[in-house]
Amino acid sequence: MLGTLILKEVRDIFGSTKFVISFSVCAVLILLAFFTGAQNYQAARRQYEAAKAENLRQCDGLTDWLMLRQNRIFLPPEPVAAIVTGVSNDIGRTVEVTGRGELSAEDSRFEGEPLFAVFRFLDLEFVFGVVLSLLAILLGYDAICGEKERGTLRLVFSHAVPRATYICGKLIGSLAALVPALIVPILIGCLVLVLMGIPVDVNGWFRLALAIGTGLLYFMVMLVLSIMVSAMTHRSSSAFLAMLVVWVMSVFVVPRAAVLLAGRAVVVPSVDELSSKKAALNSQLWTQGRQAISRWTPEKTGGDMEGMMKQFQDMMEKQADERDRKMQELAGQLNEDRANRQRVQQRWAFAAARLSPLASFSLAVTSLAGTDLNMNDRFAAEAAQYQGDYAKFMKAKTGMVPGRGMIIMKGDAGGGAKPKPVDPKELPEFQHRPIALAGAVETAIPSIGLLIVWGLGAFITAFWSFLRYDLR
Amino acid sequence: MTDSPYLEAVALSKRYEDGVLALDRVSFGVRPGQIYAMLGANGAGKTTTINIFLNLIDPSEGEARIGGIVTHREPLEAKAHVAYVSENVMLYGNFTAMQNLEFFARLSGKHHYSRDDYHDILRRVGLSDDVHYKKVRGFSKGMRQKCGIAIAILKDAPAILLDEPTSGLDPKAGWEFCRLLESLRQEGKAILMSTHDIFRAKEIADTIAIMKEGRLVMEQPAGELAHLDLEKLYMEYMAGHNGPMPAEA
Repeated sequence: MLGTLILKEVRDIFGSTKFVISFSVCAVLILLAFFTGAQNYQAARRQYEAAKAENLRQCDGLTDWLMLRQNRIFLPPEPVAAIVTGVSNDIGRTVEVTGRGELSAEDSRFEGEPLFAVFRFLDLEFVFGVVLSLLAILLGYDAICGEKERGTLRLVFSHAVPRATYICGKLIGSLAALVPALIVPILIGCLVLVLMGIPVDVNGWFRLALAIGTGLLYFMVMLVLSIMVSAMTHRSSSAFLAMLVVWVMSVFVVPRAAVLLAGRAVVVPSVDELSSKKAALNSQLWTQGRQAISRWTPEKTGGDMEGMMKQFQDMMEKQADERDRKMQELAGQLNEDRANRQRVQQRWAFAAARLSPLASFSLAVTSLAGTDLNMNDRFAAEAAQYQGDYAKFMKAKTGMVPGRGMIIMKGDAGGGAKPKPVDPKELPEFQHRPIALAGAVETAIPSIGLLIVWGLGAFITAFWSFLRYDLR
Repeated sequence: MTDSPYLEAVALSKRYEDGVLALDRVSFGVRPGQIYAMLGANGAGKTTTINIFLNLIDPSEGEARIGGIVTHREPLEAKAHVAYVSENVMLYGNFTAMQNLEFFARLSGKHHYSRDDYHDILRRVGLSDDVHYKKVRGFSKGMRQKCGIAIAILKDAPAILLDEPTSGLDPKAGWEFCRLLESLRQEGKAILMSTHDIFRAKEIADTIAIMKEGRLVMEQPAGELAHLDLEKLYMEYMAGHNGPMPAEA
């Protein structure tokens, strides 16, 4: 009996014009998401390589590492991040590393190409979160009440069909028809990545597979929710309206309201406020520095100009170290306080936003893709790590760590020997590690768990509602 | 024809949640090989009676029995013994006539039918071969009614419930439908039919009953009504003759 009902459901869905049209649109969008993702990745890769080469090119003709004023590191593009973009286009991808001082990432993709920020990119998160959830609603809203309106429910229940079997057949049949159908364009999309030569490693494939699996889980949740609403209403127009309200709440209202409420509940000082405090201290330190310079008199060097310059340079470096230490102390306190408040704010915002299945899905899928909010922190940590390596390198090469605003005086030794040009290959290379699978899964688990709870809750409610459904 | 009724309503009452009394102690029986026609205006309680037999609703009082099985106590067991054809048979529009038959045959637990059997049954109800593989969404009401009868025949249940089966059918389709009912009666099926169609009821039914405001106000063997003007009788009852029900012959 259950098999008969499941088979009927599958046949009925595949035979409907509504399915053929809406599924075709979704399949095209899925393929487009993979294709545009691959193209974006290739373009970003080219830009990344060009920027890296340009950074090294500034070493051309330099004979002293101290003359290297703008050493920049770049966040390399990742294939999975191109398919599930998350915040990857919003965060700065370039950091200027001087060896000391605070780092800040700049040049986000949307900063450079604001047009794309208007409507964002077509990625899997959008296709699943918005388009496929609408497909789920379109195919599920009249699953029960539509059959009642058409009169087929009455005919079915003139046979010895247990209600529990029927609703299970309906739910399983709908899932059995739609989920495998969606896997086909997704697999073709993966093939597109391979054919376009996108270098996805094993870790990337696993994360992409889990992200797709989460997308399918979200689709199932929306489908079961639609069937649940259908089993609670008697008119398909009412069911559609109710599901549309659920969808709008889930997609637009709840996530935004959650962020708004968390923003009100936990106040985080703005970057400008912090900058203002930092600038005040910086200004004070510079004033003190200038006074120190004006008071500075060289120790007796017997007319040795180079010895005098070395004394000056030592004094300047000591000043820079001191200034750096004080600035870092203040910045550390301010940044830590801000980060702590931000974490609390995020926790509240995410907890409230997860009431929406879409928010749970988005948080899970971006965590798996490595394009969640932590992407910025991970890049900042890697940049800070690099700054340490760069400082050591400069110390080894020049005997000092140059920093922002530090005045460097260099005299010509006058030896007559032509100085050797620096070798750019000696520069320490920035190492970016994609997020590890275990870490990504660990971050995504709460959201995935909530999606499962949503799905089970909707399944049980649909089941329970149908047992009491008026079949007349 | 045996004497014990296969379809039986025993003091059947139904009061809805809004307080409306849809059925008021209705009792009747339909024997195998008998067609029992219930006449009555809209809201008289005909469809409510059928809904109780199909266990789509529970009675407030009394019992509906199919082959002795009380429908609200053992609904699945009872439904296995009855087939149903509605006023406006609605099938799965994305399926062909054959696929609809196959699905409902399987729902009835009849897995042994072959394609030829489905073709034979569709031909028997008057659907020509050229529409057997057509999607039913393009079928006329008459064609859908024939499919509905085919599904009822496939189920091979001893009892059949018909809810306004000839409503909206053209005269030819109505006539064909009555011939099919006759053949089912000859097979010994107990047939309960609700209808507005006085003339078809008189033509085909063995017993005719009139329902009004949830009560059975008249029940007569059709043979005894042959010399009476049924239409006149019906209008009298509808106009307010609420006297005692004439005794069954």
